Amino acid sequence: MDDHPTASWQAMQDGNVFYRRQQLYTVSGKLPNLGDYIVAGCRYGGPIALMRDHSKFIALGRSIPAVAKGQIQIYSSAGEGLLLFSWDQGKIIRFGWTLDERLVILNEEGVYRIYDLQRDYQQHSLGNEAAEMGVIDARIHDNGLVALTGSLSLLEVKGWEGGRPLTLANPGLSEPPLVWAVIPPDLNISRHVEVLLSVESTIYTVDNLETIDQRLSRGPFTHVSPSPNGKSLALLTFSGTLWVVSTDFQRNLAEFETSTVVEAEGPVRQVEWCGNDAILVTWDSLVLLVGPFGDTLQFAHSGPTFAVTEQDGVRVIGPDVCDLIQKVPSSSMSIFRPGSTSPSAILYDAWDSFTQRLPKADESIRSIRPELAAAVDECVDAAGQEWEPYWQRRLLNAAKFGRGFLDIYNPTDFINMGQTLKVLNAVRQYDISIPLTYSQYMYASPTHLISRLTSRNMHLLALRISTFLSLKPDVILHHWASAKILRSKPTATGSGVDGDLSGDDEVCKMIVDKFKQLGGAEVSYADIAKRAWAAGRTRLATKLLDHESRASNQVPLLLTMKEDQLALEKATDSGDTDLVYHVLLDLHKRLSLGDFFRLIESGGPKLQSASKLLEVYAREQNREMLRDFYYSDDRRVKSAVLSLDEASRILDPESKLTAVKAAHKFFSEDKDRSFETKMMDESVRLLTFQQQLEKDADGKVPFFGLSVNETLRTCLLNGLSKRADKLKSDFKVPDKRFWHIKLHALTTLGDFEALEAFSKSKRSPIGYEPFVHHLVEKGHGREAVAYVSRCDSPKRADLYAKCGEWRLAGKECKERGDKTKLEELRKRCPNSLIARELDQIASTLK
Amino acid sequence: MSAEPDHQSTSSVNEVNIDGNLLKEIARKGLVDALNAVNGGKTLVLDATLAGPLGLVTEVSLLKHHGVDKMFWLEAGALSSIAANIVYLCRPHIKYVKIIADQIKGHIRESRKHTYTLLLVPRVSTLVTQILEEEGVLGDITISAFNLQFIPLAEDVISLEYESAFKDIWVDGDETVIYDSAQALTTFQKLYGLFPRIVGKGDHALRLTTLLTRETPKTTNPSSDTLLSNSDKFDSLIVLDRRVDMITPLLTQLTYEGLIDELIGIKNSHVELPMSLLSPPAPAAVATSAPGPSTSPPTSTVPLKKDSTKKYHLTTATDPLFSELRDLNFSSVGKQLNRVAHRLDENYKTNLQSKTVAQLRDFVGKLGGLQTEHQSLRTHTGLSELLVPLTRTEHFNKSLEIQQNLLASYEVTGQIAAIEELIAQGADMEIVLRLLCLASITAGGIKGKTLENLKREILQTYGYNLLPLLLSLGSPPLAILLANPLPASTTPSLKYPFTTLRKSLRLLIDDNPEALDEVENDISFVYSGYAPISIRLVQCIAQKGGVLSNPAEREKVGTESTAANQKGAGSSLGGRVQAHPIVGWKGFDDVIATIPGETFDIIQQGAGEGQVLITSMLQPKEKSTITVVFFLGGCTYTEIAALRWVGRQNKGRKFLVLTTGIVNGTSIIDSIAGLGKSTSSKTVGI
Repeated sequence: MDDHPTASWQAMQDGNVFYRRQQLYTVSGKLPNLGDYIVAGCRYGGPIALMRDHSKFIALGRSIPAVAKGQIQIYSSAGEGLLLFSWDQGKIIRFGWTLDERLVILNEEGVYRIYDLQRDYQQHSLGNEAAEMGVIDARIHDNGLVALTGSLSLLEVKGWEGGRPLTLANPGLSEPPLVWAVIPPDLNISRHVEVLLSVESTIYTVDNLETIDQRLSRGPFTHVSPSPNGKSLALLTFSGTLWVVSTDFQRNLAEFETSTVVEAEGPVRQVEWCGNDAILVTWDSLVLLVGPFGDTLQFAHSGPTFAVTEQDGVRVIGPDVCDLIQKVPSSSMSIFRPGSTSPSAILYDAWDSFTQRLPKADESIRSIRPELAAAVDECVDAAGQEWEPYWQRRLLNAAKFGRGFLDIYNPTDFINMGQTLKVLNAVRQYDISIPLTYSQYMYASPTHLISRLTSRNMHLLALRISTFLSLKPDVILHHWASAKILRSKPTATGSGVDGDLSGDDEVCKMIVDKFKQLGGAEVSYADIAKRAWAAGRTRLATKLLDHESRASNQVPLLLTMKEDQLALEKATDSGDTDLVYHVLLDLHKRLSLGDFFRLIESGGPKLQSASKLLEVYAREQNREMLRDFYYSDDRRVKSAVLSLDEASRILDPESKLTAVKAAHKFFSEDKDRSFETKMMDESVRLLTFQQQLEKDADGKVPFFGLSVNETLRTCLLNGLSKRADKLKSDFKVPDKRFWHIKLHALTTLGDFEALEAFSKSKRSPIGYEPFVHHLVEKGHGREAVAYVSRCDSPKRADLYAKCGEWRLAGKECKERGDKTKLEELRKRCPNSLIARELDQIASTLK
Repeated sequence: MSAEPDHQSTSSVNEVNIDGNLLKEIARKGLVDALNAVNGGKTLVLDATLAGPLGLVTEVSLLKHHGVDKMFWLEAGALSSIAANIVYLCRPHIKYVKIIADQIKGHIRESRKHTYTLLLVPRVSTLVTQILEEEGVLGDITISAFNLQFIPLAEDVISLEYESAFKDIWVDGDETVIYDSAQALTTFQKLYGLFPRIVGKGDHALRLTTLLTRETPKTTNPSSDTLLSNSDKFDSLIVLDRRVDMITPLLTQLTYEGLIDELIGIKNSHVELPMSLLSPPAPAAVATSAPGPSTSPPTSTVPLKKDSTKKYHLTTATDPLFSELRDLNFSSVGKQLNRVAHRLDENYKTNLQSKTVAQLRDFVGKLGGLQTEHQSLRTHTGLSELLVPLTRTEHFNKSLEIQQNLLASYEVTGQIAAIEELIAQGADMEIVLRLLCLASITAGGIKGKTLENLKREILQTYGYNLLPLLLSLGSPPLAILLANPLPASTTPSLKYPFTTLRKSLRLLIDDNPEALDEVENDISFVYSGYAPISIRLVQCIAQKGGVLSNPAEREKVGTESTAANQKGAGSSLGGRVQAHPIVGWKGFDDVIATIPGETFDIIQQGAGEGQVLITSMLQPKEKSTITVVFFLGGCTYTEIAALRWVGRQNKGRKFLVLTTGIVNGTSIIDSIAGLGKSTSSKTVGI
């Protein structure tokens, strides 16, 4: 076990760069011959999925397990079978892995399922177009997929929530591309997915806006493979030239002739990246690593292999072993490279001497004193890069040793590394077999690891790790509870009803207790309840749902469980109107109208706000229903108001009249609404009267829909004063109002004679001040003067002034002997001429 | 909590501030993210009621920068767009969704292909999904949310800018606004910490508070990172719903800003002014930056008025004078303008005296500021000139007189006759109804026969189509236009105890000359002698002394005691007393209980309560805090002015106004009447 780390190193570029082949697991005899299968590997040390390649023959009778037709088998990196299931849907086009270790399987009808490692799946579809045209190929990446339809257009799906597929720009292909690849959105500057299609001798790059022909002439290509960081592209031409370019095709990075490899037999199986700077080309039994300068390393396997690109290396699963090939990290290099004199190498050496009680230790430490802190850090880092706990421990010890010579050192990194390695070593164990490297772990986050463990039903380990790392246990508890429910099938048939009940109670209690004990307060009980319900355990679901605190989680499940009343109450209580609508609309669809209304009405004040919301909705979208609703609840006033609202929207006179009449009828049915009834009666009479007026005026003057005042005014303006008088008496318009209207109308007409006559027709009920005010306001100051004398004497002076008759105003003051008023006028007057006159009057007053 | 470090470094120890820009930034980022989710150039179709609020957080250039090529109003009718992407931005109202569905169906008929995205403000709604499904276009459109919540209107006013909040709650019974408010307050708490105490009045205010406290996670798990700790900036949240004080909005606001709102109309902080008022050397800084469609809308329903008027943003940021003027009683605005004019004149004159080059350079340096101030002075003088004739009209003065008399319960029957007179003269329907409702509330209802007669007059004068409006005003939960005695069917609790409140809360300041001084020293200056109940209620919590007697009178007593207690600290601030801590309604429980609506006082406990206690003990006694006042259903400019006044009286407490929107009596009546904003003159286009 304690082979020196360099034992697995191989030099490249004249010994400047080393690559190492770290054997992760031996898998002899556990996997079938990978050459006969279509394989998809999951990144971050995830499992591989296998499906028989029907284009190949398979020899029967071998001892190795064979996967039957239409089956998909999933193996861990250590060759342990994780899952086997058969596929009964349409022909599988493609399968691949999501970031969170779920298997996506897409069939030719555009239907895809996302399986977790417990064989639970969600099914989504790519839509009608894909279903009609068929899907002929697809590429699946961590957070979405791109499918090629029968009509040679590209469909993109973002995320795994069953989002609507988006059509990418049409590449205008006449036949399917030879090969193609996808650069995931998060690796592009545009943050949108980019598709690379190998067409004839060139490559098309397609995104959702446009297709760009890169105008290459070296094609056609047999392999297109983007690097893990999306910056470079490895292309293999038909003639076997491996060509590496930047993804924008601006820079040539490297070239290599694969035909020069003597040991290669048969066609190239895979072109994969090893980290971001080397490329792995595999043949049936040969694995070739091509470095950035065309240097190569060969690794032999006894049979076909499968390579999975990782961000810091490449995992190669062969018939016998599962290896990780990666560039030796700089910290390991600096410590272990033969002849290295870096401070970290000296520190390590010093510690080694120290353990052997050699005096050299002290001398070595002294020599690197200034760089000691950096050396310690490097040892810590190198520990993270080692696979064997033995070497990890040695390196950490060296770091600890060096730390002792430092006055100030922040131990956080050291402690974190210790913790992390403990976790990593645990999950790298054979039985768990997640061969995660340190940098992968840091990139994918601890929570990601935990969710992978839970999806393997390793709750205890997950929980221990999460406690160890002080993470929230919610996710694990949630998964655990779901699994618990599924596993604890009730003994419904066995011990009868009682047994079933206690079973539910027990499970519920167990879950709730566990949550409380472990502080999983934010676990959604509703989710778990949903699982229980889906598993056919309604009682358990109801029990669990009681513990849910958020209505928005409770309500949808209550609805599916047909607990209508409860769902509506909970929704109303939550105050979330959208949730209330959700329930209302669902119930409206499901229940008969009568039941629906009864449910709402029977709720009383509790459901009042729900009923109000229904009104708001129905007033805009479903008035017929609202009418029925009001009618069934005997809400006459509401019905009437609804009719009036309709009347206000209708333009056609007859229907408008009908609507108002309907409102009248509704009001009349409520004995408390006699006033409103009377008003509606008036309204109807007015509308009829207006129709008559319009008819008489040959439709030249619009009357319909005006108010009483406006009608009077229009009558007066059109010389229909007889009609106005009749209207006045019919509608008992008070004199005061009538006089105002007539005053305004006559002023508008400029018929001052008629106004004069009107003012004298009887004693004005509004006095004559309004005459003055209104006339002045409308710019008829001269006509206004005549009315001033009829006003109350104390106000006359001001009124005259208002008409611009300052002299008269002055005279008025004089008559009344009102000196103070005169003074005031004097102050306000517009010019000196008038001022002088007023002064004169003032002088006579003395 | 992210604002914390900034705040620490920028403001002094005794001052607390809320950075409104933070909220603005959140809104802006939300929009940018939402727009960027759609790749390539896009056409933006905008709900007109959102344009105003949006204009307060962003500008057209930002939208352009993020790929918006063209903008249209969301209006009925076909939409012709060339861009492949169409982004709809609207509130989740049914009418908008139907228009969108129609437009999409139109495009499908013409077999034009577009990618549709619907951004709903503030969140995705099942209702919308449902309707789109019913219309058969759900599959064609991607729906996501743009969470536009609080928008800062001024440095101490933050609004949700919901136009119809009042009507939604008290007429339709649609409580969406309450839920959205709770959500927005939750965001607020996430930013600044939990309100340690929530005090309030009103049934719906309680509902809001219940939702808010329920929303906050209650776990005791120490490892959880979503826990909130109590805010160290805020000492409490006061929630008042509009129903608690219906009188205030019915009155005519008499502060400068209030009067502009009453007579010209302020919408989303913008007022429409004649070009001539703004056009003289208008520097770019004054020009408004509201986003408007770059092209004319597809159907030209926008009136031509656009040519003669221009939107002016009433903000203290670009208009230095406005902060001096906005809260003044209009009667003293003239004086203030005069003073500023003199000051400016003085400043300009220094130019003539500057002899040396250095002096000259000094002056030139100041010139920019002077010019801004000059333009600002010009604008406000012009604005005042616009207002003056409007305040001289007979209807305006008559209505003021009736208001004052009704508040004093002076000759109520006479006032009702006067209202009838106004109807006869054909005064504005809104004015009449405001007065009538005021009469009903102050007098505890209007005699049945008289009321019926008045209603009849109104219906005949303004049209029978107002009957639903009268019914809404007269029926619960609004019930502000009632007959006396009440019909048997209604509950007696609706009666508002105005006359007792007038005494116990000292609402009316006498009109005699001695009291005139007092008017200026009390919040009642905003209504020339009447103190708004809502603000008195706030005072009951945050400035108990101010309710009982005038702080100006107590000043002498106050300085003595302060001097004794706090030595130098108090006297340097001119005798302003340290604000007392929030202890709920204490001392006014009886009075508050008589007002209809729930009364509540809740203490919120955040995480790490122990630590908070320790730190608060360590802090100096004069630590300054902010009291947040939330008006559910809207508040008026006068209320804001009054609160600012209260904030100035004590040291150590500032007020921050949160509201669902700015309202006045007219806007409330109009919204209930369902008079679309299109018919009202104050809301033309953008």
